[in-house]
Amino acid sequence: MAAAIETKKLTKSYKSRAQGNINVVDSLDLVVEEGEIFGFLGPNGAGKTTTIKMLLGIIYPTSGEGYILGKEIGDMDVHKLISYLPERPYYYDYMTGPELLKFYGSLFGVNDVARFDALLERVNLHRDKDKPISKYSKGMMQRIGLAQSLLNDPKLLFLDEPTSGFDPIARREIRDLILSFRDEGRTVFVTSHELEEVERICDRVCIINRGKIVRQGRLSELLKGTRTEVEIRAASVPAVVSNIAGVTARPVVDGYLLDVPEVVSVNDVVDAIRGASITITKIEPRKLRLEDLYEQAVGNNPGPIGDPGLKKTITVEEETTA
Amino acid sequence: MRAIVSIATTTVGEAIRRRVLLIILLIGVLFLAVAPGLGVLSARSETTVLRGMMLGIIQLTSAVIAIVLTVYMLPNEIERRTIYTILSKPVMRWQFLVGKYLGAVLALGLMMLLMTAVMVFFFWWQQNRDVTAIPDLLKAPVMYFIQMSLLAALAVFFSTFVAPLVNFFLSGGLYLLGSLFNPFFQTLQENQNTPTLAKGFAWIVNSALPNFANYNIQNPIINPGQTIANESAYYFQVTIYGLLYIGILLVAGIWVFDRREV
Repeated sequence: MAAAIETKKLTKSYKSRAQGNINVVDSLDLVVEEGEIFGFLGPNGAGKTTTIKMLLGIIYPTSGEGYILGKEIGDMDVHKLISYLPERPYYYDYMTGPELLKFYGSLFGVNDVARFDALLERVNLHRDKDKPISKYSKGMMQRIGLAQSLLNDPKLLFLDEPTSGFDPIARREIRDLILSFRDEGRTVFVTSHELEEVERICDRVCIINRGKIVRQGRLSELLKGTRTEVEIRAASVPAVVSNIAGVTARPVVDGYLLDVPEVVSVNDVVDAIRGASITITKIEPRKLRLEDLYEQAVGNNPGPIGDPGLKKTITVEEETTA
Repeated sequence: MRAIVSIATTTVGEAIRRRVLLIILLIGVLFLAVAPGLGVLSARSETTVLRGMMLGIIQLTSAVIAIVLTVYMLPNEIERRTIYTILSKPVMRWQFLVGKYLGAVLALGLMMLLMTAVMVFFFWWQQNRDVTAIPDLLKAPVMYFIQMSLLAALAVFFSTFVAPLVNFFLSGGLYLLGSLFNPFFQTLQENQNTPTLAKGFAWIVNSALPNFANYNIQNPIINPGQTIANESAYYFQVTIYGLLYIGILLVAGIWVFDRREV
């Protein structure tokens, strides 16, 4: 299958008086296949939106190459085949839904009232078609955004945080819409902090941090294997555990939750804990989740702005030193 | 062309709903409505004062609308991210900028048309339903429209690289400079006794600064004793000057905007 998106050493630098040249996106090598839902993840300020803007030709790369549907980024012909839904979009709010679609449709030369109606029905806004956008809720705003992004029957959709800040029902509606795009053969490039959502819908993911790719691959491959959680009752992480590489600890109510990866013997960990006369309250094998992978990849070193929602993983080594 | 027309139409739709512009327009219209009553306060001929006052109100109100309308146009599109949904479609940056400019000029034209209609009505009423002076009076708003289109082009050009507040003072300042001081620099340049250095400076300022004073034709309208020599040729010449200057400003704006990261 041909690549819907391909970047080679794509880089975007900004000059800063304090820090000199800052690579917001650093030598990004990315391949997104046609017909897949591709999750582009990373903490705030990691370079996700900058990458999308470069791919859309809104800002210009400092170096490197990028191709969309086989054509160089910035090629106007490609813009007929793609669409973009920015994070927290704003639309001309004096318009109604059909008027907004008419405006965006006119940019493609689409002036088909039946199509506008069908799109409004698809995103479940047909009952509010006479309502001005200024009266739309957050979820309705996102749905009209998705409707406008489908006007040109795009082959590739860029969705920037499409479910951010929504209630579970609105999230499910948008998730179902995104899944239906894949069923129709479209490629979806989606950024999100909702890792559970990403895990449910994406075929492949790429995690970037500080502009660099830290993980990339098929979700089924990346999340292969299991890990074991061992909960102990202790005031601090015992030194005996700190000698076992790969084990991380997170404080919980009465003690610590130790995360034991598949490569480490659970028996060794349990023996070490029992040897130190520490009570084990729970041992639970778990499937690796995207959240775990994300934490491993980004860990204690999130991007420039930092993600307030990211749980900090305290490593055993750090705790011991502290 | 299709994209330019769509963007321009949307810009008009937005502009005529902007509360701040409507308030400025309302103030202008109110002043026009009370102007006939204020004429009696002056020692000069009532008609002369009324003409001067009404044209002054239209010019000042239009200038404020032109600046307020254009300085926020581009920054707002970027801040609200509407520009991303438009530029990610098959729309070139120059089409976006030209569409926005044309929309602004169209909205400005509509607002000026409303003020002109109000002016004509109250003037006609004050003149005891006599229409003979009205065609002459209408020449000024037409010239003001070209002047304001030039001012809008200047503000759009600056909006591609400066912040709205700076743009407000920059465009407003240049408008005042080009309206009030251009005749002074012209005289300085043409005066035999002016030192060469001052002449050169006057020439540079005169050539670079948009000559807004070209369109201040109210004097012959207010004082029928004054005339413009070869009137048609003058109007044609200043219209061409305005269009050329607008073209240059838009090309320069497109050049900057094309290179700008939004």
